Amino acid sequence: MSANSIGIFTIEFPDPYMLSYYNDRFETLAANISFQYPITSNIQTLSSKSVEKGNDPYGILFVPDLQSDGCKNSEKDHVPENATRLSNLPRDADYSLVAFAPWFAPLCMQEYLDAARRSPVKAFLVYQPGQSATMPPPMNDPSWGLEDGGSWKAANRFPVYALASISGGIIMDQLSKYSGNITDAPHGHDLASIYDLTSYVRLWATINTGSGNQLPSLWVFLVIVLGLLVLIIVSTSTCMHLIQRRRRNDLRQRVINGEVNLEAFGVKRLTVPQQYLDKLPLYTYTNGPRDADPEKSVLHEPPPAKTPPSTALDVETGMKSTAAIRHSSALSATATDPPAWSQPTCPICLDDFEPNETQVRELLCRHIFHPDCVDTFLLSNSSLCPMCKHSVLPSGYCPAKITNVMVRRERMIRRMRARSGANARPITEQTEASSSPRTPYSRGVGSLGSRIGGVITGRRVFSAPERSQTRPPDIEMAGANASPPESNSSPPPINANSDPNAVPEITPAPAQSTAPAQTNCSQPTSPTQNRREWARQRALALLAHHAPADGSEEENPGSRWRRGLRKVFPGFM
Amino acid sequence: MSAGAKKRIMREYGECINDTPPGMKINFDEQNMTEWEILLDGPEQSVYSGGHFKLKISFPTEYPFKPPVVSFKTKIYHPNVSNDDKGSMCLGMLRPEEWKPPNKVVSVLRLVHSLLIEPNPDDAIEPSIANEFKENRKEFDKTAKDWVKRYAK
Repeated sequence: MSANSIGIFTIEFPDPYMLSYYNDRFETLAANISFQYPITSNIQTLSSKSVEKGNDPYGILFVPDLQSDGCKNSEKDHVPENATRLSNLPRDADYSLVAFAPWFAPLCMQEYLDAARRSPVKAFLVYQPGQSATMPPPMNDPSWGLEDGGSWKAANRFPVYALASISGGIIMDQLSKYSGNITDAPHGHDLASIYDLTSYVRLWATINTGSGNQLPSLWVFLVIVLGLLVLIIVSTSTCMHLIQRRRRNDLRQRVINGEVNLEAFGVKRLTVPQQYLDKLPLYTYTNGPRDADPEKSVLHEPPPAKTPPSTALDVETGMKSTAAIRHSSALSATATDPPAWSQPTCPICLDDFEPNETQVRELLCRHIFHPDCVDTFLLSNSSLCPMCKHSVLPSGYCPAKITNVMVRRERMIRRMRARSGANARPITEQTEASSSPRTPYSRGVGSLGSRIGGVITGRRVFSAPERSQTRPPDIEMAGANASPPESNSSPPPINANSDPNAVPEITPAPAQSTAPAQTNCSQPTSPTQNRREWARQRALALLAHHAPADGSEEENPGSRWRRGLRKVFPGFM
Repeated sequence: MSAGAKKRIMREYGECINDTPPGMKINFDEQNMTEWEILLDGPEQSVYSGGHFKLKISFPTEYPFKPPVVSFKTKIYHPNVSNDDKGSMCLGMLRPEEWKPPNKVVSVLRLVHSLLIEPNPDDAIEPSIANEFKENRKEFDKTAKDWVKRYAK
């Protein structure tokens, strides 16, 4: 392990052969009366043998003894005569030692190392003699070669660190001053007054390899990064979940308020629960109303007490109320027309209704069907009238579960509507105007028309109460009366042949075939029903490429991975 | 398939017989009434004139709540017919979300007929063909006629 820093201190320790209470007490001398030399840079690790984590080498600094005379001679140039040697330390005491030597010749270095191996040396500090204050050459530099192919590193049981030349010189110089008696050391008199005269004052080295904190710091770093990542993911996920939950609640609220009709928007295919189905009135079919006989028609007036229109009045808010109110305001145009069943056949099985015999179920939009036929349809397929796609469910009906998919789809449709509204302003202005009260988002278009629409609606809302009583002669009859009965059974105009040049979103909806007069001239009295249907068709046409063909499909079966991602980050895709 | 649906298909077949759009012939098999085979001559005024096309109409179990599936068995170069072995059509009232039970097969046949005369490139299943139809009508006509010669004789 590489050394981060090396601290050289002066320590005082008692002579182990003196009887003393403090035989094992090592004391670091104060900085003002001793040598202290922290080295924090320019330390080259030559070998990190035997350095373990959390176990930094330390010990009393000494210069190992050489064997050969040749080396002893050349050593004199670099090592002062009285530098601390093994012999300057208490004999046979088992101190931790740190060897210190100049690296002047490979042969002599081998001798130093040999000597160090015989002592309890914890580490070896070397320096190349000279005046350089820069980083010693790196570990694999040839100047560190001992002509043995590097096996000297393996032979050691201690690490070897190289210091800058100048640092080595300074330490070597000090090492010669702290080798004798306490009084010989610098500030000897001061020290003598504090410590026992028999005490030793020597240099001490502590090598901080950073093993205690360097590698762990890498781990800590990794853990922190990972932790941050996890934190970011978790917080993002939480945020998205919260946002999505808010959107779900928001959508639910708007559905309950009647601002959004999930199925009419193509968001979700709903079905009608049995309990709502049971509320739809059943009648015996008569062909009387087709003669436009007001007397008879009264008989077929749904009793207000139990009919859905009354419930609609009860919970009147948002779309339903404006729709109902517009129905009543349009009443002025059609007030003299009796309510009528314009359908001689059941549009589902194409069987004729037998007058005074067949039971028929009438939906809110006054379309009639065989109960068997329409019940299967409403229970298992759709909540919209098969004829005009008017919702059978009371406004504010909300399916138990609003899913993220529904939220996503609804948002997409809304965006598309807003965009197409902005693009096709001239064409859609009237529609936007009429639909603005129930879809606040279309107000964002900010057209003059929508503002006028709001004003008009305000007036209508105001006049609602007295008119709502006369609601039952529904606006649908206007359409039904205006067109011959046969038109119901005739096929709706097809986009392609009704106007080949028209883009799909502006072609009239099929349902309008029941009321061609209103649609074509686009009079203000035109039923909202048609406009709504028209807008819906447009939205559907715009959506066609994005929405799954079947609205009942919940999640398109993406890969597991994608599904998982979607679960973690709802609203992400 | 429920009895009601079968009854309705029978009734619709009866109607179709009386009111078949021009150039169409229906092969109806009582044993397998949910699969109709239509033989269709290309309308005179269209680029498909002279061609004989075979169509299949299959009724789903949920008919009339789900739309019938129309597919061209004869290859045809048309923006609204998929250019693969299925030859499927999916537009206008044939879309599941636009289909309404009151719609009838006759109107589906009329839709097919009118689409042969006037393709609807804005609701195309083959965008490249639709693009050619809009941008380069001559090239489209040429290819369509060529395909009629090649596949629909």
